[in-house]
Amino acid sequence: MKDMWTAIPARGRVILLVLLAALLVAPAALDRYFMSVLILIFYFAFVGQAWNIMMGYAGQLSLGHALYAGLGGYVAALLWFYFGIGPWIGVFAGVAVAAAFGAVIGWLGFRFGIEGVYFALLTIAFAEFTRIAFDNMSFTGGPGGLFLLYEEQRTHEWWNLRGGPLLFYYLGLALAAGGALLTAWLARSRLGYQWLAVREDQEAALSLGVGAFRAKMIAVLISASMTAIGGVFLAFYYNSLFPAQAFDIGRSIEIILAPVIGGLGTIFGPIVGAFILTPLGEALIALTAKFGVDLPGTKAVFYGLTLMIIITLRPDGVWPWLKRLLGLEPKS
Amino acid sequence: MTRTTRRNFTAGLGAAGFVAGTAPFNIVRAQSAALKIAVVLPRSGYLAPAGQSCHRGALIAPKVLADYGHKVELVHIDCESNADVARTQTERAINDGAQVVVGAFDSASTLAMAQVCEQRKIPLIVNIGAAPQLTEQGYKFLVRNFPTGGMLVTNGLKLIKDELEVTKLDAKTAVFLHANDTFGTAQRGAMDKIFPTAGLPFKLLESIAYDPKAQDLSVEITKVRALNPDLLIVVTRAADAIKMVRDMVRQRFEPKGIISPGSPGLYDEEFYQALGPLSDYALYNLPWANPKSKMTQALEAAFKPAYPNFRFAVECFNVGFTFEALLVAAAAFKKAGTADGTELMKAVRETNIAEHVMIGPAIKFDDKGQNVGIPSAAVQNFHRTPTVTLPADVATAAPVLPIPGWQKRT
Repeated sequence: MKDMWTAIPARGRVILLVLLAALLVAPAALDRYFMSVLILIFYFAFVGQAWNIMMGYAGQLSLGHALYAGLGGYVAALLWFYFGIGPWIGVFAGVAVAAAFGAVIGWLGFRFGIEGVYFALLTIAFAEFTRIAFDNMSFTGGPGGLFLLYEEQRTHEWWNLRGGPLLFYYLGLALAAGGALLTAWLARSRLGYQWLAVREDQEAALSLGVGAFRAKMIAVLISASMTAIGGVFLAFYYNSLFPAQAFDIGRSIEIILAPVIGGLGTIFGPIVGAFILTPLGEALIALTAKFGVDLPGTKAVFYGLTLMIIITLRPDGVWPWLKRLLGLEPKS
Repeated sequence: MTRTTRRNFTAGLGAAGFVAGTAPFNIVRAQSAALKIAVVLPRSGYLAPAGQSCHRGALIAPKVLADYGHKVELVHIDCESNADVARTQTERAINDGAQVVVGAFDSASTLAMAQVCEQRKIPLIVNIGAAPQLTEQGYKFLVRNFPTGGMLVTNGLKLIKDELEVTKLDAKTAVFLHANDTFGTAQRGAMDKIFPTAGLPFKLLESIAYDPKAQDLSVEITKVRALNPDLLIVVTRAADAIKMVRDMVRQRFEPKGIISPGSPGLYDEEFYQALGPLSDYALYNLPWANPKSKMTQALEAAFKPAYPNFRFAVECFNVGFTFEALLVAAAAFKKAGTADGTELMKAVRETNIAEHVMIGPAIKFDDKGQNVGIPSAAVQNFHRTPTVTLPADVATAAPVLPIPGWQKRT
């Protein structure tokens, strides 16, 4: 841990501490709207980090990550709904189920050499058939959704995630920070280097004795588990789950956008991406409203255009460029 | 040079953070004569067609409400068929002074908004949203002027019985054909639960699900044809309803009636455009605008010049319910005499509006905030126009069953 800290240039450490301190005290100054936006930023930074481990580090493209978030959320929510088991325990069950699904997908993909876009299709297929299964299971609420009772008298029960925005703000912040720390630690571990070797050239990695199957399986398991934790967070934040939304491919795309824009295979990429994308969406809504543009979809058009511009100008993501700009590149 | 740029950048970043953090956190609640209502609708995304239809109702509402002595100021918000956006934009709208929130067509977005409204003590009036749980969650600042999914099917099936009695059609068998999407599957669940006790005079031979994205429904229609039911009960969307009718015509399958117990599809503009006379006589049991109500007529009069490319008769379901949600808010504001959330909500819960747009008794809410008195009407397509055929007191035409064969239409 100390190595990780000292590896960051002095200026970077200062910026990081200032930002973290600002985020810790921000609720005192921010209104609920800004807090709700920051909660979403933290969520997307965390699940983006989870996806980043699988794609950015291990090089395995998943387009069905909503599956793990949906499973984590549903399992924890069902345990709470039927047995009153709190999410702090339910999250373990959610993680176990999501990891089991990840293991099956990973085993099928890596054992039978399904790679690249075909592996991505496999992940989409799993998310889709899980959605259809949840649509047809009555104990999960079916297509009508699963609703967690909102009880005002229980809003002090932070241990059951029954609190208000403040609770979810700090929990989201902890998740985003924790996810980044875990990724940083993994990236510097033996496993992290194995991932990079497999990502760059699997044949070469195999010839050097790297257990590609094992390394990729661990990446999938960690990624699925982390995403499931994010799913539990979101389920208790919204107090509702619908298969059509929880497992939707649109949700999967939302998860991957932050690391893609921020910078794949970097620790701060998903965080920077989330801090760009969510406020960008909100700013575009505010701007179109301010200029009286009332055409539906205008925001989506400008959002898409902005993403295209970012990707064209910064094909490696914003973070590597920002890092250079802030003088945080290690001196060689 | 580089140093200065970096410093400037850092300073700019700090300033931006400071401004973002401190500037907009004063909540200003206007206590003006007009009630400020945030109308949150899915005007883009996968629910856009319905959301835009509701939006048209919201846009014409202030003028019609003004004629009835209500002054409202609307803030239109597109929630993009996304619960995340619905939640954050509701927060923003309340920050900007919205005193009531209306929305949001789908249950996921509505529930996300409900928590915000509950915590901030701002009334939320649901215009459309059928998940029964919306009013079962104990929300004190939420009311719904729309039937639950169960109410829709119960009322829809009850009306089938009335339709058979009025037309004296002796139907002995039926097949239930439904889309296997979220809505269709939910309706199937309600049908399985309610049909056995609905006391209908015919036997349900089979329930057949289909993929609404399929190229055609020839296999499903062949199955239905083999069973040869008197009635085809359907739950569709517009695109698959078109495919269904086309395959029925191709296979010369002519049941005595095509009836929906409560779903879209059979009254969408694209259904009429694509099928022409073949779209006629399809029957659907849904809450509908009361053609004999003066307020409906006033709404229609405002709608026509505002939207010459849209037909009120086709859009009145979305337009009517959205208008009524705004009417409930405006009437409560008038009664409470204040825009204070708690007082306003008290007035909303005591709503008793006899003259309104949709068919049914006065708008009232039960203890849970649900209007339980919303009936369905039997609406049948005549000359490509939805026409109310039951209940008799508001009908403008009599129901026609058995329906004419495909070749006998003009």
